[in-house]
Amino acid sequence: MLNVLMLGVGQCGNRILDAMNREAFGGGASKLSRYYLRPKFPSRVETLAVNTAINDLKELRFTTAKDRLHVPNLHGVGANRNVGKQAFMENRDMIMGEIEKRGDFDIAFVITSTSGGTGSSFSPLLINELKRQYKDIAVITVAVLPFREEGSIYLQNAAFSMRELMELDAEGIILADNQYMKRFSGDIASAYDKINTMIAQRLLFLIESLDSEMLSVTDLGDFKTVMNGGLRIGTMGFYQADSKNLSIRDAIQNSLKPANLLYPANVADDAARAMIIIQGSQEHLDVDEITKEVERLSASAGHVFKGIVVKKGRPKVLSVFTLASAPELEAIYAQAARAMQEEKEKRTRARKQLDEAFAHIEDLEEIY
Amino acid sequence: MSKIQISKNEIRPARIMIYNCDVLGWRPNYYRMTFVCLILVLLLIGANGAAKSDEEDDDEITFRDFSLYIGDRIELEDYQIELIEIQSIRDGLVVMRVSKVGGSLDEQRALLLDRPNNFDRGADNGGITITIAEIFDEQSARVRLEYKEKLGTPRKRSSDRPQTAPEKPDLWVDKSFDKSEMNVGDESKVTITIKNNGTGPAVGIEVQDIPPLPQFTYIAGYPPKIKETLDPGQSDSAVYMVNAAKEGTVSIPSVLIRYADRKGNSLSNRSEPFSIVILPRSRADLNINAEDNITLALEEEGRLNITILNSGSASATKIEVTGDVRPGEGLEAVGLDKSFFEIAPGDAAAFSASIHGQKPGDYAIRLKANYNDGEGLAIREATARVTVLEREYKYHYLLAIIPIAIISFWIYRRHREYKY
Repeated sequence: MLNVLMLGVGQCGNRILDAMNREAFGGGASKLSRYYLRPKFPSRVETLAVNTAINDLKELRFTTAKDRLHVPNLHGVGANRNVGKQAFMENRDMIMGEIEKRGDFDIAFVITSTSGGTGSSFSPLLINELKRQYKDIAVITVAVLPFREEGSIYLQNAAFSMRELMELDAEGIILADNQYMKRFSGDIASAYDKINTMIAQRLLFLIESLDSEMLSVTDLGDFKTVMNGGLRIGTMGFYQADSKNLSIRDAIQNSLKPANLLYPANVADDAARAMIIIQGSQEHLDVDEITKEVERLSASAGHVFKGIVVKKGRPKVLSVFTLASAPELEAIYAQAARAMQEEKEKRTRARKQLDEAFAHIEDLEEIY
Repeated sequence: MSKIQISKNEIRPARIMIYNCDVLGWRPNYYRMTFVCLILVLLLIGANGAAKSDEEDDDEITFRDFSLYIGDRIELEDYQIELIEIQSIRDGLVVMRVSKVGGSLDEQRALLLDRPNNFDRGADNGGITITIAEIFDEQSARVRLEYKEKLGTPRKRSSDRPQTAPEKPDLWVDKSFDKSEMNVGDESKVTITIKNNGTGPAVGIEVQDIPPLPQFTYIAGYPPKIKETLDPGQSDSAVYMVNAAKEGTVSIPSVLIRYADRKGNSLSNRSEPFSIVILPRSRADLNINAEDNITLALEEEGRLNITILNSGSASATKIEVTGDVRPGEGLEAVGLDKSFFEIAPGDAAAFSASIHGQKPGDYAIRLKANYNDGEGLAIREATARVTVLEREYKYHYLLAIIPIAIISFWIYRRHREYKY
């Protein structure tokens, strides 16, 4: 059994973690489920929501109080990563102590937004600490990219945070892009819920699959290998066949389609390594078709791990792959650089205007 | 006074004399007396004729009435007239004594009412004439004295002797019942009491307590018998028993007694009439009071208290109480049957029966008392309701409370678990 640590850092990470806890109560659980159900994780999963803003922690509904860790720093870090880093360092022992209470882990998922204050600043430091304290632990960062229109600070945070994450000695980053996924819903609030639910479902499916008796074995080691491929930046796709089309081949293809990915990528062109995990009733699992489809994917993506879990139900396919190139990231960095340059120019202009204003009273004394 | 005058009227004293001789009981030889009297008459006629011529200067005759008590006297010249006795009021006989100083006249004579009596040949002839004008009572009478004025003025001399009370019986009679109210069938003692409150003996006493009243049956002692003679202060009573036969208010008529005094004067008296009430015949009236609406738990034992009260006016006897339970199964009752010999009016008898609830349901215990109410057999019934409850589970509510408490605790714990 895998020992899994799920850390939701910052508001975004907290909400995705809360969505995972909700999914653990069963799909579509209501708020009252927590009164009569216990969350069921496929493995031993310990969750911990970390935040400097206590109000964000209070918003959580399906995460137990003991799994919410408030890092006292007034009311958040105000999207300031430097403040966030200082807050982490000041509370590192307390944070790591809470994690240590939960025992040893085989893998840790650090779910965070790249743009916020707490998540983007805490996560690189936290991952470093995890890697330092837990020698054999695999740490996967689930990083959420911001809406592009959220502002220059968020873009700046995302740029610097991503760089720090990529420079870490961790097992990789799974990207989810809010900008990409906001098409799922009309308004921002429901889009967030939908995105959080999608990420939660994929992560739970992944954990369940890694800890299951598979017909064709894939395990944590395979997963780490996949995540070490390419830029060590990957993403996930997921598809559940509908009753009209139970073809496993179509399900695999659909799981790789951009519409079902968390981050916009072209698998055929951008994928470095991949893992396809298939689950469903045996009658739907045509091994020949699965093999053909995996072979076809391998032709473009290099190595593809496949795992098959026989479980009653319609075919479900989770595809995890790392990218050899990330054009969208480059676009984000470029946008972030522009935004930072504009910010800098604005500040310079403002400073100049202020200096000119001050110049009017440079030789004057206060007269009373 | 030397001449003797005889008028037609002079015959009268002689007749009176004759009469008086009879009254006094003198019994001379009738023929000899007749002859003597005839001679005397002839002599008187002759003497009267010789003296008639000398009568021209005689005084006028006058009279005067005196009220005399026995012993009182009238003195007129030499005459002394004394009331000796009122011999008979009814017959109008009064005894007078007439005497003359020197002893030439001393005569005691019974005088008839309103009849003149001559002494010393009467007032016409220089003597006196006495008439009993009125008898007041047995002690006094009004006496008229006729005399010639030349005799002077008569004077009354009251008697120095103490007056003796007249011997007159006075019977008082009373009739009474020993109950002023009674019921039909009740016996009562009737007492007739007679007492002589007078000064003389009552003789020939007769009691008339008639007619027998139809509201009563006369058991013993009727008609009442009383002594025939009662001396002053003496009393006698007669008792008889009656049985009330009809209800209603009965007017008891007065009792009449007749009697006479020693002199034969008839007297009578009556008791005061009164009325008594005869109520309907007294009967026993039993009321059975059984504790009602008893509630028993299943398999619980209880007591049914029964009280029998006699609210009637007679004793109830031979009381037999029986009871049965309906429906017959499910409630066991022991001790419902009971006997009592007698329950006096106003008294109560109580007993209790044990009851045992064996099956839930509503039961009725019917009690029936047979008894003799004084006239015959009577029956009274009563019903007591008993409810046997379903088995009670005292801590039933815990079955609801415990899960609620557990759930509440569970929810609270979960709430605390997720509350941040």
